[in-house]
Amino acid sequence: MNLLSKKSYIAWYFVIPVVFIHLFVIGIPSILSLALCLTDWSGLGKINYVGFENFIELFDDRYFKKAIFHNILWTIIFLTVPVCIALMCAYLLTGIKRGQMFYRLAFFFPYMLASVVNCQIWKYLFHPIHGLGGFFESIGIEALASSPFTTKETSLYAAAFVDGWHFWGFLVVIYLTGMYQVDNHLYEAADIEGASKFQKFRYITLPMIRPIFIFSLMIIIIWSVPVFDYVYILTGGGPAYSSEVVANYLYTHAFVRFNVGYASAVGTLMFIYVIFIVGIFGLLRKLGWEI
Amino acid sequence: MMKTLVSFVSAIIISVSFSAFSKTKVTWSMESNADRDPIFLEKLQNAYNSAQDKYELEIQFEPNETRIESLRTSMLAGMGPDIVETPGPSYVKEYQEAGMLENLDSYAAEFGWKDKLIPWAYSSGVFDGSLYAIPKTHESMVMLYNKTLFEENGWKVPTTLEELEDVAGKIKAKGMDVYTYGSSGWQPTHEHLVGIYLNNYAGPQAVYEAITGEREWTDPVFVEALELLKKHMVDEGWWSGSLENYYAIGWDDFHAQFATRGAAMMTIGTWTFQATSLGIGQSGDEWGWAPLPSLSSNSGGPNFMIAIGTTMSVNAAAKNKDGAIDVLNWIMSNKDVVIDIASDFQFGEFVVPLLLDDSDIPSTISPQVTSYLNEYARITGEGNYGYCTWTFWPAEPGVHIWKDMEVVWAGDISVEDFMYDHQKMWDKARKKNETLPVPLRD
Repeated sequence: MNLLSKKSYIAWYFVIPVVFIHLFVIGIPSILSLALCLTDWSGLGKINYVGFENFIELFDDRYFKKAIFHNILWTIIFLTVPVCIALMCAYLLTGIKRGQMFYRLAFFFPYMLASVVNCQIWKYLFHPIHGLGGFFESIGIEALASSPFTTKETSLYAAAFVDGWHFWGFLVVIYLTGMYQVDNHLYEAADIEGASKFQKFRYITLPMIRPIFIFSLMIIIIWSVPVFDYVYILTGGGPAYSSEVVANYLYTHAFVRFNVGYASAVGTLMFIYVIFIVGIFGLLRKLGWEI
Repeated sequence: MMKTLVSFVSAIIISVSFSAFSKTKVTWSMESNADRDPIFLEKLQNAYNSAQDKYELEIQFEPNETRIESLRTSMLAGMGPDIVETPGPSYVKEYQEAGMLENLDSYAAEFGWKDKLIPWAYSSGVFDGSLYAIPKTHESMVMLYNKTLFEENGWKVPTTLEELEDVAGKIKAKGMDVYTYGSSGWQPTHEHLVGIYLNNYAGPQAVYEAITGEREWTDPVFVEALELLKKHMVDEGWWSGSLENYYAIGWDDFHAQFATRGAAMMTIGTWTFQATSLGIGQSGDEWGWAPLPSLSSNSGGPNFMIAIGTTMSVNAAAKNKDGAIDVLNWIMSNKDVVIDIASDFQFGEFVVPLLLDDSDIPSTISPQVTSYLNEYARITGEGNYGYCTWTFWPAEPGVHIWKDMEVVWAGDISVEDFMYDHQKMWDKARKKNETLPVPLRD
């Protein structure tokens, strides 16, 4: 009785409902899903154990390899383009005193919209008949005659562009929050020393927001693994798998091809990868990195 | 005290008589469509409920994008609606294999369903020798053309490949697209075109032999068929001007293009009849239809591809199995109801494959649709019918035929390699007993 009412356990009691929900909604289905990767289950009916057959087939699957490559490309794009633009804009915004709220809202606005809405806007803009292509054609310019979402060479980058356009405003807000926490005396000291704006950014801002910055990189790497909605809505992974990503590949196998066992094998590999990434960051933290 | 007792007894009598005379609910999860839903509510649900006192039919509408998955989840949980509607036989097969559908043999025998339905359509619901599904609608693929435009230019409606290529050149010279069609919003649209080329180049007999395992999909005649499709799609840009535009254009776009002379023809399923009549009707032009041209001497003349659009089954775990059976039997026993609803959709939807006579077709139907129905009955009656992929292909090869066709069109793999992979998938499906019923050919 005494043990149950111990003060240090009180926080646990409050957490228990959430733990239960997570257990039923995420924990148990995840474990079941992991078990399914060793079966040929279609999603209905009998479940047959097939050992590692799904994984053997997966490692020989050219479209799965293509999807992995696209996820890597996606991660690289998101680790560079939105991060650089967001850092620059956040830093510039710290110098704006009047109307800053307007910019913050404008940058963050796409992040508040549902992915379906964002995608429809861009799909419509690039529509060959009703979009910019049709407009340019009417004035004799052939630019954008084809939608970048339906062109094999550009579909992945076009989907990444739209997702990045919606995402970078979020980065601006978290970088800005970090930048406001930097002690102003450091900038005053730098001013006295005659430091340029870039030098202040490089030697004061960036090191001081490092925990937030590294955190943003970590979430980008992790979020790039299950990237799905923008690809699914804009391109469906096509044309010809040119924008296929792992999560969309999983979805197709699970819900279109009636190949749930195979899809679970894909999910298992995604799970292992995310655990690996989180492990690396955990290790770096243990090694004393401020992240 | 006496007053309380009387009230109590009255309440019991009222509740007992209410439950004795109240109807038991029958649920049906149906594909949602803003134009069609009110008609199904009025002419199916309400009409059935008024026609008898035993059951209360309740149709729950949901878009297919989410309905298919929520149906599967509820069925897995031993729940789900009493009447199970699926998008085709490959789905029925999955549910039937899982023991989730009621065997309808005894009801079919009791109510004589086999005598009421077109034989091939009835057999499409027979799995492992027993009936598990009734087609809710059957359909085919046709070629639509702008009749006014063709007449103005003196163009001949093509019936052969030569004529088709000739008129295509003339249409393009006028600055129009040959066909309008696109896959935006429904990626499996590609399979419509693949099916057309397989059946009208290789011929229905060859397709039948490949479905039944007597011929390999790697046979040169199929490779040539898909090479021709690739040429027309990629090199010639027949559909919506280019492959990229074909991918970017959806249902509303291609109907608008057809109505505004952006294209002269359209390859599409008969489900379009209502939309086409409404769309081009506003432009002042007249539309016509024709069987798809024969693309080689192998095809054996004009044919209609047969297909099941949606199916109706009874949930093995239905709360009201008798009610569900009664609804299905009511539909099949009331030809007038079916014709009335189908007429509202210009025979593009709810074309339950009941055996009809010419006299059954109402005068409210457009002349184009009437002539289609007559021709369809005549030509398929002569045994000249082909096979749509979404009705006769098992699940995995059925997805491969459209999903991976993009890879062929992109030039990433050859048609030969594609068909080699396709054959492997059929071999796998055959090994796992996943093939679907196919009507015997004479």
